[in-house]
Amino acid sequence: MSFIVQGQSVVKKFGDFVALDHVDIDIENGEVVCIVGPSGSGKSTLLRCINQLEKIDGGGLWVDGELIGYRIEGSALHELDDRQIARQRLATGMVFQRFNLFPHMTALENIIEGPIQVLKRSPRECREQALELLERVGLSDKANAYPVELSGGQQQRVAIARALAMRPRLMLFDEPTSALDPELVGEVLQVMRDLARSGMSMIVVTHELGFAREVANRVVFMDAGQIVETGAPEEILMYPRNERTRGFISAVLN
Amino acid sequence: MQTTTHTSNQTPSASSTKLSDYKIVPRRHYGRLVSSIIILGLLGALIHAFANGDIEWSIVGRFLTAKAILWGLGNTVLMSILAMILGVVLGVIFAIMRMSSNPVLRYVAKGYIWFFRGTPIILQLLLWFNLALVFPTLGVPGVFEARTVDVMVPFVAALLGLGINQGAYTAEVVRGGLLSVDNGQYEAAMSIGMTRLKSLRRIVLPQAMRVILPPIGNETISMIKMTSLASVIQYSEILHNAQNIYYANARVMELLIVAGIWYLVVVTIMSFGQRQLERRFARGSGRVDH
Ligand SMILES: Nc1ncnc2c1ncn2[C@@H]1O[C@H](COP(=O)(O)OP(=O)(O)O)[C@@H](O)[C@H]1O
Ligand SMILES: [Mg+2]
Repeated sequence: MSFIVQGQSVVKKFGDFVALDHVDIDIENGEVVCIVGPSGSGKSTLLRCINQLEKIDGGGLWVDGELIGYRIEGSALHELDDRQIARQRLATGMVFQRFNLFPHMTALENIIEGPIQVLKRSPRECREQALELLERVGLSDKANAYPVELSGGQQQRVAIARALAMRPRLMLFDEPTSALDPELVGEVLQVMRDLARSGMSMIVVTHELGFAREVANRVVFMDAGQIVETGAPEEILMYPRNERTRGFISAVLN
Repeated sequence: MQTTTHTSNQTPSASSTKLSDYKIVPRRHYGRLVSSIIILGLLGALIHAFANGDIEWSIVGRFLTAKAILWGLGNTVLMSILAMILGVVLGVIFAIMRMSSNPVLRYVAKGYIWFFRGTPIILQLLLWFNLALVFPTLGVPGVFEARTVDVMVPFVAALLGLGINQGAYTAEVVRGGLLSVDNGQYEAAMSIGMTRLKSLRRIVLPQAMRVILPPIGNETISMIKMTSLASVIQYSEILHNAQNIYYANARVMELLIVAGIWYLVVVTIMSFGQRQLERRFARGSGRVDH
């Protein structure tokens, strides 16, 4: 059995505040894991640590079999430099709550930026791939639109295409539909559903419990920087054992 | 409202004629009319004064294209461009250093900005020009050496003085521009595998340009005028050459007008170019400034 993510006793602090409190997490290749939990429980922080947007203060994280942030040499851990961290980040793609498309580039330019600038692939090949990806997220006609000209749902779908263009092994989604008007949520979830079916490993922080139940292989409930409970979607969402999980689920459902 | 007149602001249904049957009488702008008359009168008086004052306009016309004036104009434009390029390059470097996580770089940048913004430009020009007083020779001993007076010719001293001073101002402008870009843009750039530096160059700087360009444009225009200060260190820019001519022929006003006309011409062209550039960098902002 191979893991796409392994976390051992991960600790992350902001000053004295402990945002991740000895988190252990294993995610298998091809697995879709949804993380749920109250605001401030450390869900985003966990994703950001996996993607090295934050540096962990304790424990270890492996992504695609590789220890991240450090190189092991003898009995010492050497911190990686900016360039090596950038290389490790290629294993993961990230989709943000607020889309974060590059506003000075068209949808197509957003998608080909990474493949051309970072992977140094040929512009022609990148354009072809980008057009395929746009078709896959249902936006073939928006290749030349700037982000301001797109709705939130369309922007988020371009953002997903941008991440996929790097051919990551793992996709991270941080509340991808929380900033969307309710009628636009469905189109983004549909793209994510298709992606999950294609076998992509995914970690999705979401409040969409319906999506979690339908798509996730596993649901993780976090609270106060800790993983409180983890299991199959129906276990966690329908028959939570933990008091805090039960409180959260009923609060979201009502 | 007192209804002393027969204005009838009736509801549409109450009025029998259609609105389109009325004739529209435009609003009168009496204020504009009065101010225009006053200003035109003052302008007329000013033109009259200059036309009849002791100014030989034929001399202005003749010197407008004199060789020394055009040479000086070329030097003014050249120095403005080179000093501005040096200023922008230094500005970007020091802005990035100022925002670095490395405290040494940060303090060096702060010190640079503090010194060069804190002293008058004319003092800095004189410092560079007179560098030979402190350092008679420049260079790496044994590798290459030169007498400072041979290196610090007016051109070099003016370029260093103006460019390095400009860098200190531009650094603050660039920093403001970089700070104006949402942090999410760095994160998105890094999430597609870009290094910090590449994120800055490809994603953040182009967006910061929208904020940076208008003040840089203004500063370029200031620079054109600021080069005139280099006349104190004998750099042969347009004002310096105009002065040399009027020392000889005593036509002070005429030559100042000649220089003034050329400054206006160059500044006008620059302002036009600035507008074009700003449009280009407004790409994707969803609004085009006029
Ligand atoms: N950069 C930061 N500096 C200080 N505190 C932070 C920072 N990022 C997150 N936190 C704190 O860490 C906790 C967890 O945040 P986060 O992971 O964003 O929660 P969630 O995504 O579950 O809502 C919160 O209390 C938040 O205030
Ligand atoms: Mg969050």
